Amino acid sequence: MAKGIVISPDKCTGCHTCELACSFTKNDLFNPKDSAISVLSYDEAGLQVPMTCLQCDDPHCMTVCTVNAITKDPKTGVVKVDKDKCIGCKMCISACPFGNMTYSSRLKQVIKCDLCSGTPQCVKECPSAALEFKELDGPLHKRKNIANLFNNVFGEVAK
Amino acid sequence: MLIKIDGKTYKGHPGETLMEVARRNGINIPSLCYKKGFEGLGRCRLCLVEVSEGKRSKIVSACVYPIKEGIEVTTITDEIIKMRKDIILLLLLRAPDNEYIQQLVKEYEVKAPERYIQNDNDDCILCGLCVKACEKLGTKAISLVNRGITKKVSTPYDDPSKDCIGCGACAETCPTNAIKLEESNGIRTIWNRDFDLVKCSICGKYYTTLDALKFIEDKLASNEEHICDTCKKKSTASKFKESFQHIY
Repeated sequence: MAKGIVISPDKCTGCHTCELACSFTKNDLFNPKDSAISVLSYDEAGLQVPMTCLQCDDPHCMTVCTVNAITKDPKTGVVKVDKDKCIGCKMCISACPFGNMTYSSRLKQVIKCDLCSGTPQCVKECPSAALEFKELDGPLHKRKNIANLFNNVFGEVAK
Repeated sequence: MLIKIDGKTYKGHPGETLMEVARRNGINIPSLCYKKGFEGLGRCRLCLVEVSEGKRSKIVSACVYPIKEGIEVTTITDEIIKMRKDIILLLLLRAPDNEYIQQLVKEYEVKAPERYIQNDNDDCILCGLCVKACEKLGTKAISLVNRGITKKVSTPYDDPSKDCIGCGACAETCPTNAIKLEESNGIRTIWNRDFDLVKCSICGKYYTTLDALKFIEDKLASNEEHICDTCKKKSTASKFKESFQHIY
């Protein structure tokens, strides 16, 4: 089944190493601005929340891309941007409901997580295991499936 | 289908162009007007290569040449370099100050003879990549107009186009950075039209044009609040945070 990055904000220390790891692997530079993952701090709550692409099942970015530069791999579930095909219309950035796509005017390209072809470097470098690369077909997924079945069977009756 | 490029054998699919096979295998053929995913335009002609088929050989543009079984391709010969130099010279005369053309001039050591008079100083090399990008986007706001020396890329009758959504894809795809997109005081100007930029309802930053948002809303059949990507990320993260706060 598809693997994905599982984020645990309670474990994140806010060291921002993931951001540097990402920008270094992708662009050979330590620039958190060009990173596909970013850590948001909530000091009052004592929480740090790393945010990155969720590799949606039905990606809005892919729907709006008219040149088919964004594709979803049916096997790995990765939503990937082909930089050579991208024409830079930036529709995907406005379309992403989570704001997980950004544009780097310095690199002249969109920045989006592609799970580093199966070995996400941010996960590798995370010192506190706040980021984990795991099978997504866990108990939660199973429960979701059952809930969906439930919804299908009883949804109409409930209406 | 097997073809040989510079002595090495590569696999290709019927209907593919030489450029597609070369780019996929990391072989560098210079080009200004080629873009992956687009049909070859064959306008800049920098991608000239020599194709041998049996005893005959000819020079073709790699971006528009469909591969055939058993062809042998040479990407660099003295003749090709000479032809590329001529093409770069013509590009140089059209766009003498352009930095991308200057890079090519440096790489191929081209020098314009003094007897040439430089009349134009245009960054546009008329490759039409912007026109193609606009067409693929579905807006079709610009096209190549006129013929001969007055040929240029423009909107119909140079008027502000109502089809244009001001996304700037044309400016992004331009290989010589010839298309100017200007932004000031919440107004984006491109192709003689002024677009009102949309303010993010949270941080107040101008981030895109209203027409581009309408384009997205039509595609997704949804109507969302106008929030910029940074603020969207923040609001998603704060939802995440709130749900975690209640656990502990």
